[in-house]
Amino acid sequence: MNLVNAPHNTPLRIVDLAGGEGVRRRLMALGFHKGDIVELDGQAIFRGPLLVRGCRSDTTIALGRVVAQKVLVELVHERS
Amino acid sequence: MSAPRVPTVIFIGQPNSGKSTLFNSIAGHKAETSNFPGTSIKHTHSRVNIEGRLLDIVDLPGTYSLCTTDPAEQIVLTHLFSERPDLVVNVVDASTLSRGLELTLELVELGYPMIVALNMMDVAERKGIRVDAAAVEKLLGAPVTPTIAAHGRGVKELLERAFEVLNKGQSLRTLRFAGDVEEKVAEVERLLPPGFPVISNPRFTAVKLIETAGHACGDFLGEVEPGLKETIDRVRRAIEERRGAPAYEVISAERHHQAMKLFEETGRVLHGKLMTWDKKVDAVLMHPVLGYVILAAVFLAFFFIIFKVGSPLESLLLGPFNKLKEALAARLGGGLLFFLAEGLIQGVGGGVAIVLPYFLPLLFLMSALEDLGYLARAGFLLDAFMHRIGLHGKSISPFILGFGCNVPAIVSTRILESQRDRILTSILIPFIPCSARTTIVLALVAFYLGPLWAMGFYAANILAVAAIGWVISRFLKEPSPGLILEIPSLKAPRLVSILRKTWLQVHSFIKFAWPLLIGGSLVLSLLSYFRADRWINDILAPLVVKGLGLPHELGVTLVFGFLRKELSLIMMLQALGVDYQHLLTAISREQIIVFTVFISFFIPCLSTFVILWKEIGKKWAFVSAGLSIGIALVLSWIVRLVL
Repeated sequence: MNLVNAPHNTPLRIVDLAGGEGVRRRLMALGFHKGDIVELDGQAIFRGPLLVRGCRSDTTIALGRVVAQKVLVELVHERS
Repeated sequence: MSAPRVPTVIFIGQPNSGKSTLFNSIAGHKAETSNFPGTSIKHTHSRVNIEGRLLDIVDLPGTYSLCTTDPAEQIVLTHLFSERPDLVVNVVDASTLSRGLELTLELVELGYPMIVALNMMDVAERKGIRVDAAAVEKLLGAPVTPTIAAHGRGVKELLERAFEVLNKGQSLRTLRFAGDVEEKVAEVERLLPPGFPVISNPRFTAVKLIETAGHACGDFLGEVEPGLKETIDRVRRAIEERRGAPAYEVISAERHHQAMKLFEETGRVLHGKLMTWDKKVDAVLMHPVLGYVILAAVFLAFFFIIFKVGSPLESLLLGPFNKLKEALAARLGGGLLFFLAEGLIQGVGGGVAIVLPYFLPLLFLMSALEDLGYLARAGFLLDAFMHRIGLHGKSISPFILGFGCNVPAIVSTRILESQRDRILTSILIPFIPCSARTTIVLALVAFYLGPLWAMGFYAANILAVAAIGWVISRFLKEPSPGLILEIPSLKAPRLVSILRKTWLQVHSFIKFAWPLLIGGSLVLSLLSYFRADRWINDILAPLVVKGLGLPHELGVTLVFGFLRKELSLIMMLQALGVDYQHLLTAISREQIIVFTVFISFFIPCLSTFVILWKEIGKKWAFVSAGLSIGIALVLSWIVRLVL
């Protein structure tokens, strides 16, 4: 499951950052790493970007869909 | 003997950490010499006198980390590494502390003397985050001062701590990575060849060699130090095999965990007190329907205010200049002296009365929207539309500004982190009809052909911008990286900080553009004194008469249009020797449209050209100029054929 098809307003754990090195580096610089818990807070119309909130740092970023597809996540309660 | 050396203090922080606000509150009212921007977008620096001691303070663009592939952020690295500062002031947003600490830890690794400003303590408080500054200080070994830069709080203490470190020095406590990673770092450190350009200390250099993107130093290393390149490749592979992730990711994750641990040890999150109202406001601002309604309202209000403030201010300011010109005409007659004086007045008047009235309110409102955090939200809402022309949501605010005046619009492309997006946006902006061109469209097209024609003209213009963007983006090799945009928390803008920001930008514009405006104006006056306008008309005749089907006399107006767009209209009437009411006796309706199309798409004005040069470089400024001339010719020729 990636961020585009993940449910909203539910804690999600990042299991992997796919995609090119540039995108991965950028996401990590913004504080989004493998293992972090995030939540989807909203999205813009016409297949616009998604709002992703890092639960620990409480920072929100907007991710275009191409980027969001590369962030692989799982539901947090699946593991616990 | 020369005076003692003035210490350099560099401000570094992640974007939206309030770094510039803090910088401005120190530089703003204590600046000894005026503030001036660096050679390009690089940095702002200022020499300040703080209780008798001089400091050179430098504000660098916001950066998320010291290991970046982002061209705008690399400027920070170049500056930091090449001009070793005496002190680093690391500004951290306390409300997003665990992320901000990642950069702080990198700076500690770098090991330059540093202090930390734990900024936006009020926002953190609202979010229910408590940070024990003393505990952070103890763990880092660097002074940590809580500040609220927007209110000027904590600034004095921060400066005191700065002098303390400058006087006495300090010993930072570098946190170590996990044993297996640290072992590999030590290996590279050991194998650094003698004479290798070490940045600050061998460990930092080794870490950066491992985690910096391969292409950044790969070629250089391969040529100069083939042995070291092999070592690094081997170490990277070893880390990757062990951890199952690329070395850069492992090191970044190590730092991420250090930062989270540090935050856990020094901060507390009181969950009962989450700032619910911010979340509610954001839910409306970024709502799929309401968000767009608000967006439209904000921008309509934005234009309305700018035009309401700008046009009366413009006529108010233009009045004295016109009177002065008349008075001089009476005194000096028609001699060379008069022409020179006229050129000078035109130049100064253009700078003061044409540019400033729109420029000032624009910069002011823009700073307000920026400080509020609204621009990021607008970018989020409009991202999908911008993708069609090869850009993304972040380019929205420069475009919007372009309708007022292209010059501040191009300046504001600085917010774009990718150079590709900056260039594409800056090249498109000159095609957006600014207020001066709107005046011409209204005066010529709306007046002689009707308001519907003017509206159609406007719509066609915007379509043309989109089409040009679509075409150019096909030629730019690198694709747009896609939107990764931080949405900062909403903040109530502070008047003082907005005014300071506005002033710094106006000042740098004046210093840069006025000499050119005045110089250009003088040259044109001399041209007309020596009757060179006739030759220009003759030279341009094949283009103007044969190509566009316009009267021979209009050639020179195109040159004047380059200096200032509104002048084209006045010059057109002068050149044709008719007054505004009787224009149709001299040229036809079709010719009016062709002329307006040409003027609209032709190089916007000297100020725009100059600011392009300053912002994205000479090459692109000429590309833009060539493109606008080409497109202006093609479009007006097509219009001539169609009509």
